[in-house]
Amino acid sequence: MTKLSNASASETIASGRRDFFKKSAAFSVSAMAAATLVDPVKVDAKELKGDPAILEEKPWGTTFGYPVTHNRYGQPSPYEHHVTRRNTKLLSSGNWYASIAMCPIQDLEGIITPNGLFFSRCHGGVAEIDPNQHRLMIHGLVEKTLVLTMDELKRYPSVSRIHFIECPANGGPEWRGPQFPSIQFAKGMMSCAEWTGVYIKDIIKDLGLKPEARWMLAEGADNSHMGRTIPIDKVLDDAMIVWAQNGEALRPEQGYPIRLLVPGWEGNLCVKWLCRLEFASEPFYAKEETAKYTALKPSGKAIQHFYANEVNSVITSPCPEKPWTDLKKGDIVEIEGLAWSGMGTIEGVDISFDGGKNWVEAKLKGLVLPKAWTRFSYVFKWEGKPLLLSSRARDDAGHIQPTVKQEREVMGVESVYHRNAIHTWEVTAKGEVNNVQVLS
Amino acid sequence: MFKSYRKAILSVALLAAGTTVLFAEGASRTYANGKKVIDGGVTYPVKNGMTSLYHVNEEAHKAHFKLGRPATPDEIKAWDIDVMPDGTGLPEGHGTVEEGDEIYEEKCAACHFDFGAGGAGYPALQKGNAYEGQKSLTNQRVDGNDEGPIRVFGTYWPRASTLWWYIKTGMPHPHPMSLTDNEVYALCAYIISLNELKIDGEELDEEYELNREKFLKLEMPNKDGFVPKIDGKNGLENTRKFFNDFTNYGIAPLKDPKKRCMKNCFKGKPKLARISGSGISDYIPPISNKKELPKKKEGAGAEHPGKKAYEASCAVCHATDAMGAPVVGNKKDWEKRLANGIEKVYHNAIHGINGMPPKGGTSLPDDKIKEVVDYMISQSK
Repeated sequence: MTKLSNASASETIASGRRDFFKKSAAFSVSAMAAATLVDPVKVDAKELKGDPAILEEKPWGTTFGYPVTHNRYGQPSPYEHHVTRRNTKLLSSGNWYASIAMCPIQDLEGIITPNGLFFSRCHGGVAEIDPNQHRLMIHGLVEKTLVLTMDELKRYPSVSRIHFIECPANGGPEWRGPQFPSIQFAKGMMSCAEWTGVYIKDIIKDLGLKPEARWMLAEGADNSHMGRTIPIDKVLDDAMIVWAQNGEALRPEQGYPIRLLVPGWEGNLCVKWLCRLEFASEPFYAKEETAKYTALKPSGKAIQHFYANEVNSVITSPCPEKPWTDLKKGDIVEIEGLAWSGMGTIEGVDISFDGGKNWVEAKLKGLVLPKAWTRFSYVFKWEGKPLLLSSRARDDAGHIQPTVKQEREVMGVESVYHRNAIHTWEVTAKGEVNNVQVLS
Repeated sequence: MFKSYRKAILSVALLAAGTTVLFAEGASRTYANGKKVIDGGVTYPVKNGMTSLYHVNEEAHKAHFKLGRPATPDEIKAWDIDVMPDGTGLPEGHGTVEEGDEIYEEKCAACHFDFGAGGAGYPALQKGNAYEGQKSLTNQRVDGNDEGPIRVFGTYWPRASTLWWYIKTGMPHPHPMSLTDNEVYALCAYIISLNELKIDGEELDEEYELNREKFLKLEMPNKDGFVPKIDGKNGLENTRKFFNDFTNYGIAPLKDPKKRCMKNCFKGKPKLARISGSGISDYIPPISNKKELPKKKEGAGAEHPGKKAYEASCAVCHATDAMGAPVVGNKKDWEKRLANGIEKVYHNAIHGINGMPPKGGTSLPDDKIKEVVDYMISQSK
């Protein structure tokens, strides 16, 4: 306890305290409270050898923190204010109402994205819906139509599942070559959360779905009235209507009070601010499934109704935002990353140090769940030599990520959506990280 | 990883035999009805109360919940706003190209520019003759070719119904659902004419009046430009077949994970593509790793000079009434003290009063104590 005080200072304070005790002894909290009245004693840390972070008294150790009545809805430390969603004008449709906010995946840990950082895409601004005035309507090719209040909806048996949601345009600006010196913009159109809601099959089993019902329109109540057509197979498999995200109500950016969740499939199919489900025998040709979200191939034919986000991965550490510039030669360092597949569960991930010419197997760590982010890890000795650091994931549906060359051979460079080719970071001798593509 | 390799190999073997695959871990290529998973992936049927690693209360999913009520016909009519290619949901109405031009100038041109040219991030509504433009869809911007495919309404969209639905429920962007059906017909007529599309062989001149019947006859140049074929009673099966043939969309099937390439996967040194220039880096806010307090906004009010000392030394007694001290935030408590003037309050704070020791037991200078008092009063008005 060398950092403690000189005796005379504490003597003075102690005598003041004694008088105080006499006068206010009736209050049982006073002893505890009075102890905190002592002013912090400054020690000249310059005389001592070591880290000022250890040697110097700190205000947070010598004064009150804020009371429990402050920040009743908790906030991150102000020192973490740089961990935030980000935008770029390139990805705005003329204004910020039909645009996207990218998730800072470089700063995330584990597989759960905090709700305030979850990537957000909207087509007509973020609607702020009064849940008391919101309804879900189910109609079309059903024997019985249905209207539910939000309270009624939440009476169905709930299911909680961890799933990523990814915009199929994630990485889409890079079909013709790398563009972003940033992982947040190269791969940040995705996030992963635990969702709570109800399987749609649990609702419609009592409505009498007609045999000719093949498609379901899901529509939002927001400005864009976003609609998408979902095949009945998915509706009867794992499609959900969710009201909660990581244990609390959905955020407005995620469709409060309810959104559709179509596990593993394109994010735009997970219609936010959901108000209507209509069953039909023919697909609906909604605006976002013809004008957008179709993948044009070199033949001139485009894939419409492109569903699952294919197996994919990216190394998150290092990355352009989290370089190795602080490492010394010979340092042991953990390479970490995220792998995901909308078609199933991650089976394994390989890592390459030479741009995909030779591969070694990384380890998976933590929970490995279907259609969820999965962490991988590899321990490496940094020798200060330039690297081309790539990752290659595979899933239990029997797929492995293609090389850039393989993917281009099938899809060309104009498909915008569903790019899942192997991603490569160039690590320079100084430890800086650049976004590159290996075309071999 | 040996176990999972074995599983995947088993999967391929069983698939080859055309059998329903159900692994101990629960992944299956087929649904309970024997059909392949429609997206080409796997599903996880509930087995022994589990789906993958999740426990399931199967009783809850068997139960019948009687919730909600049927929709009234008026409610369905109010919300059923979609318009399908066969005309379902498309109301009667009419509008001419000329009328559409006028509405466009007033309500659309601010974003989509003159003649639907688009710009500044807002989409173009035409790029000249749509029949010609449709031929550009095989363009690829590679090997120095910078002419990309033209993907606008006329050249790309497979069905005209989408246009009507889009305008009615999504436009004008700040005020969707504000156009009458006739206005939507007029705007459709204008946009169809800008794209130089013909209806029943007829070009749309200024006087051309579009109505429901004519609109349903509009055949889009790229109507056959999409795969899989989702229409008709085979729509789902076409979709299933398409996505279960992995060669259709650029993902690499992995027949045997053990045999995936691990060494010398390509010849020579890797051929690299780099970001040209500094790439796209106009990020809002700029990227930062610094753990620092946010910069105070210019013009934002500075913190009260007495706040820190109050919180550090005085709040313990003054934040609640447990000590009998005037409570910060309690207007009445402070009005009573201030009845004899602020100087008296300063004096008591510096010299002590009742249970409170001089300066509250601190060794702060008098001026600081006054600041603290000011702060406490400022918070109690």
